[in-house]
Amino acid sequence: MSKIDMNKITIIAQHEYLTNLRRAGFIIMTALIPLLGLIALLIGAFFGGQAMEFLSDQLGMDPQEVGVVDQTAGYFTPVIEAYQDRYHLLANEEAGRVALLADEITTLLIIQEDYITNGRVTVLNKGSGFGAAVIEDSRQARAFFVDHLLRGKVDPALQQRAANPFKIESVTLSASGEDQGGGPLGIVSTFVVPYFMGMFLIMTIFVSSGYLLQSVAEEKETRVIEVVLSSVTAQELLTGKVIGLGALGLTQILIWLLSASALSGGATALLAISIPLMERPEVLLLAVVYYMLGYTIYAILMASAGSLGTTARESQQIASVFSMAAAAPFMVSSFLFTNPNMTLARIMSWFPLTGSTMMILRLPMAEVPAVDIIVSIVTQVTSIPIMLWAGAKVFRMGLLMYGKRATLPEVIQRLREA
Amino acid sequence: MPHKVVEVSNLVKRYNSFTAVDDLSFDVYAGDVFGLLGPNGAGKTTTIRIMMDIFKADAGTIELLSQPPGAARSHIGYLPEERGLYRNLKVQEVLVYLARLKGMPGDAARQRAGMLLERVQLTDWANRKVKDLSRGMQQKLQFVASLVHDPELIVMDEPFHGLDPVNVELIRSMIQDLQEEGKTIVLSTHQLNMVEALCDRIVLINHGRPILYGELAEIKRHYAPHTVRLRTSADIAALPDMVQVERHGLDLRLTLDAAISPQLLLRELVDRNIPVEVFEVASVPLEEIFITVVKEDRHE
Repeated sequence: MSKIDMNKITIIAQHEYLTNLRRAGFIIMTALIPLLGLIALLIGAFFGGQAMEFLSDQLGMDPQEVGVVDQTAGYFTPVIEAYQDRYHLLANEEAGRVALLADEITTLLIIQEDYITNGRVTVLNKGSGFGAAVIEDSRQARAFFVDHLLRGKVDPALQQRAANPFKIESVTLSASGEDQGGGPLGIVSTFVVPYFMGMFLIMTIFVSSGYLLQSVAEEKETRVIEVVLSSVTAQELLTGKVIGLGALGLTQILIWLLSASALSGGATALLAISIPLMERPEVLLLAVVYYMLGYTIYAILMASAGSLGTTARESQQIASVFSMAAAAPFMVSSFLFTNPNMTLARIMSWFPLTGSTMMILRLPMAEVPAVDIIVSIVTQVTSIPIMLWAGAKVFRMGLLMYGKRATLPEVIQRLREA
Repeated sequence: MPHKVVEVSNLVKRYNSFTAVDDLSFDVYAGDVFGLLGPNGAGKTTTIRIMMDIFKADAGTIELLSQPPGAARSHIGYLPEERGLYRNLKVQEVLVYLARLKGMPGDAARQRAGMLLERVQLTDWANRKVKDLSRGMQQKLQFVASLVHDPELIVMDEPFHGLDPVNVELIRSMIQDLQEEGKTIVLSTHQLNMVEALCDRIVLINHGRPILYGELAEIKRHYAPHTVRLRTSADIAALPDMVQVERHGLDLRLTLDAAISPQLLLRELVDRNIPVEVFEVASVPLEEIFITVVKEDRHE
C-alpha cells in the first residue's frame, strides 16, 4: 500500500474549500438563513405584535372561522361573547353549507340534536378531510364546548377552569436532581437552542456531503479525474475532499452563528444564548463530535456514490439510498418529544448510518444514557476506517468506468478482490 | 548506453475472463521518444493506466524511473486519451492546481504555467474559464498541463487527436523540443506519420501481446529489404536483377534480387548512362507495416 501524502491531501482540501466557497449555491444557502432572520426581525420591528398575531393565526392549530348550527336545546345559542370573533351561529345546515362554499367560514360544526347523550358533532370542511382532526386537537374548540355546556350552571371561575384546565410551567431536572431552569426560558435554553443548533448541524452535514457528491460526479463527468489520479491516490483524493468540504460546512455554521449574533444584538446576545448552553455543555460538545462523525460517514458514502454514476444526476440517484437512511431518524422525531429514550431511538443511535443524526436530535430532549453515547461513538469511530477503505476501493473502481454504471455484483466483487 | 526509464516485464491485466494485456514486455531508454502502437482495443490505454498506477496489474512488473508505479508521480507527466479539465476554473488556476498536486510549489507553478501558455499561444486566456476555450484550445491546455511540473518522463495517449494541422505541428515541435531537453516520452497515437517523424523505438501490440518491437529504422529496414526508390526518365524495365518494379507517381519502387545491393544497381545505372534524378534506399511506410503485421497476427 502506497504511503499517504499529507501535503497532497492539504492541497486537495484547500482546492475543494476555495472552489466551493465561491459557488453560487453555497453563497445563497449560507446567506439564506441570516436573510430569513433579518426579514423576521424587520417584520417584528415594523409590525410588532400584529405580526405575532398574524403568524399565530396562520400557523396555529386552531380552526379559523367556524360556522355553528345548534340543533340541541339551545346550549350553544347564543355564542358566548369571547368566542364570537371565530364562532358564528347559523340558522341551519343549508345556510352553513352555503357559507362554507362561499368561503365565509372554513369549518361548519353541526351540533346534533342528541349531542348531550351521544356527543355527536358533524364537521364539514371544503376540499380537505382534516377539519375533524383540527377540531378534535384544538384546545380552543374544546374550551368552546365546555364553556357553553357549563354556562350558567356552575361558578364562573370553575367554568373558566374547566374550559382551560391548566397553564404549564415546565421544570427540567438533571440526572443529579438539579433544576435546569423553568418556564419559557428554561425550555428555550435546554431544548429550543440546542435542538435548532442540532438541526443546523444536520443540515450542514447533508449540504457539505452533497457538495462532495457533486464534486466527484463532476470530475468524473468532465474526465478530469484521470489526470488527478495520475498525481494522487484515490485515498488521498477522497480524504482531501472530505476534509475540505467538512471545513466548508463548519464555515457555514460559523457564518450563521455570527449573523445570529449580529442580528440579535452582538456578542452580548450571543453570550446570553450560550450561557444557558453552558448548563449542559456536554450537549454542545457531543453535538460537535456527532457532527464530525456524521459528516465523515456521509461524506465517504456520498463520494463513493458520486464515483459510481455515469452522470451527476445518476450519482444523486445512487446517493438517495443513503439520504433515505439519513432521513430515518427524522421520521420518528415526533415520538422523541414524548419519549426520547425509547428503544427504537436507542437502536438507531447505535447504528452507524443513523447514529449521529439520532443522537443530535435526542441530546437536547433528555439525559441520554451514557451507554448510548459510548456505543454510538464507538460504532461510528470503528466504522469510519472500514468505510474509508471500502469507499476508496469503490471510488477508485467507479471513477474510470465511463459510460457504464457499476452494478452491485461488480462492486461486491471488487471489494472481495481487494 | 542510456539508462532505462521505463521497464515493463511480463505484464498481465485481466478483466474477468478477458485478457487486456498478455505478457507484455518493453523498455524505454532515457531521451527516447517511444511509440506504443496498436489497433483499437489492443491494450495500449490499459498499459498506460497501469504505468500511471491508475490500474493495478495482475502479473508482471513495471518500473518507472527505477521505482514502482505511483512512487515517482511527481516526475511523470500524463496526457490521457480521455480529455478533461475543470471547466469552471480559470486556465491558470487549473495549471497551478495540477502542478501543485505533482509537488511543485505554487510560485514556481505560476511562472512555468505562464511560460507554457505563451508557448502554445494561450497567454491571453490565462484568466478566462476553461469552458470559454474552444475544443482545440482545451486540447493544447491539457497538453500543457502534462508538462507544467517539468517532468522527466511524459506519457501521452493520442496527443494529436482533435487538433488542426497547425496545432499538430505545434505539438510535434514541442515534443521534439522536449526530447532535445533530455526528456523521455512515451507516445501512443494512431497518427503513424507522427510516429515516423518522432519516434526512435516502438512496440506494436495486438490483443495485449507485443507483435513488433525495437528500433523504428531497423523495423522499417526489415520490412523493406533491397528496395530502392528511383526517379528516371528512362525505361529500365529491361534491367536484370529486379524482382519487382512498382510505379508510385513519378517514382519507381524497385525490389531487387537478393544478390544485388543498391550500390551495385546504382553503378549499373551509371554504366548504362541511365539518367538518375532521385535514388535512395526505400523504406516501407509504417502504416503498411502496421496493417501487414496486424493482419498476419489475426490470421495466426
